[in-house]
Amino acid sequence: MQSAGNAEIMETLTGVFREIFDSPGLVLHDAMTATDVENWDSLNHIDLIVAIEKKFKVKFTTREVASLKTVGELAGLIQQKLVAKP
Amino acid sequence: MIFTSFNFLLLLPLVVALYHIVPLRGRSLYLLVVSYAFYWIWSPGAAAVLAAVTSLTFYAGKVVGDPTAERRGRVVFLYAIGLLILYLAIFKIAAATSLGRTVGIALPLGLSYYTFKLMSYIIDIYWGKIQPATNRIDFAVAIAFFPQLTAGPIQRPADFLPQVPPPRTMVWQGLSRMVWGLAKKMLIADNLAPTVNYVYAHIGGSQVGGLHGAALLAGFYLFPLQLYADFSALTDIALGMGMMFGIQGPENFNRPFTASSISDFWSRWHMSLTSWLADYVFTPLRMTTRSLGTLGLVLSLSLNMVAIGIWHGLTWGYLAFGLVNAAYFVADALTARNRVKFFKTRPNLTRLGNWMGWLLTFHLVLLGLVFFRAHTVSDATWLLSHALGGLAHAKADVSHLLAATGAKVLLVGLAGYAALELAERLRPDQWWLSFELTAPTWLRLSLQFVTGAFIAVAWVLLTIRSGNHASPFLYQVF
Repeated sequence: MQSAGNAEIMETLTGVFREIFDSPGLVLHDAMTATDVENWDSLNHIDLIVAIEKKFKVKFTTREVASLKTVGELAGLIQQKLVAKP
Repeated sequence: MIFTSFNFLLLLPLVVALYHIVPLRGRSLYLLVVSYAFYWIWSPGAAAVLAAVTSLTFYAGKVVGDPTAERRGRVVFLYAIGLLILYLAIFKIAAATSLGRTVGIALPLGLSYYTFKLMSYIIDIYWGKIQPATNRIDFAVAIAFFPQLTAGPIQRPADFLPQVPPPRTMVWQGLSRMVWGLAKKMLIADNLAPTVNYVYAHIGGSQVGGLHGAALLAGFYLFPLQLYADFSALTDIALGMGMMFGIQGPENFNRPFTASSISDFWSRWHMSLTSWLADYVFTPLRMTTRSLGTLGLVLSLSLNMVAIGIWHGLTWGYLAFGLVNAAYFVADALTARNRVKFFKTRPNLTRLGNWMGWLLTFHLVLLGLVFFRAHTVSDATWLLSHALGGLAHAKADVSHLLAATGAKVLLVGLAGYAALELAERLRPDQWWLSFELTAPTWLRLSLQFVTGAFIAVAWVLLTIRSGNHASPFLYQVF
């Protein structure tokens, strides 16, 4: 079960993904990986991360970014950061 | 030992046959013994150093991955990565300068490949992507696995370790892949090599027998084809051999010369190296410089491409190769969005755009590879500045070249290359696989028998031939 916070995060994330990958119809799901999205390569990946950092006002470390495998994990990490925020 | 050498091709069937008798829990140890024996024959000293650096990384990995001592793990991580980089750098510097000859240090075979495997292991543990290996034999095999030891592909331990000990092998598939690679090497690469070698040995106007115009252009176009046939053959052989022992390795190529942009080319060429650098060099650099915006992107891309260049060796030629590709890649990345937008609003130009993109990419890549192949940077610039000169005597220049190297050999090489591109486009192997699944048993078995006999004959012929002249692979020197 996704918590309400997570659903909100997914909705905001969808907006960011659609803008970065220039794909208005893109629908995200938890198990999605970079191979599922056209143009999601190592170049665009950091553009995406920077856009997410701006949108959610959080900061990621290289270690966190490197170990992410799925969109679900990304949403989980954002939630963790938002909860830990003062 | 070269993979196409007589001794190797004679020994391999025996090593594979014995592997199938070994019980599952003994398979890792068997692979370790065979791999080290293979390396020991080349140099006992290098094998001992490999064992030492592997053990150190194994124990370092345990400390780095210990969740109860994070601070200590971080320190050990930094030391381990620092030492591995230093280890790689010392040998590379020794090889590039007269230091190596003075001190008597030779570049250990496969150094650039196995240190990258070791580094990825330590970094993956530090990043929390994998747990430290529990079995030191499995880990040592992941680093020294002999099909990949001398020339890759760079299979990260994170991908290799879950496969050992391999419960089932893929001898039939592996054998076909290996024969395909051997044929590519011997029929295509080795037949293009004499012309390429001749051209690059006769650059320079004042030199006796120095080549001009069209002959230089032949070298410009032929070397990339030779390199691709040679290096992808080596990958086919390594992957095929791996399958015979039940290991699935990473692919290294995906029809690189069909790329329609520079970034597209680099996602299709030496993929196990470029994806390694993307994960462990580009991403950390880009994360660190992300607040700098476009400047950060330019810096990260440039450093990444220079790293790809000098990974091959610390020479001005490899550096120039890296820098040229850095310039290409930066131009590609900075214009990507606008290009996409431009073609989105003009769909009737998309086809033309793709075609132009391919033509431009192909020539830019070839231009960069001149620096890769030429003995010196000035040789490379001389070739590039004179290849289009004097096209009026193109016929005479080409006849001069062919008289020296042999037209028949080149023709076989070129015909082989055309067959290679065609096969990669049509993929008869996939057609064959789907046919095998649906064909009646009697037909399948009889066809398998015929193919088996064909492979056996090809193997014998290749073994005999390689007894006379086994030429080294271009990528077995890094």
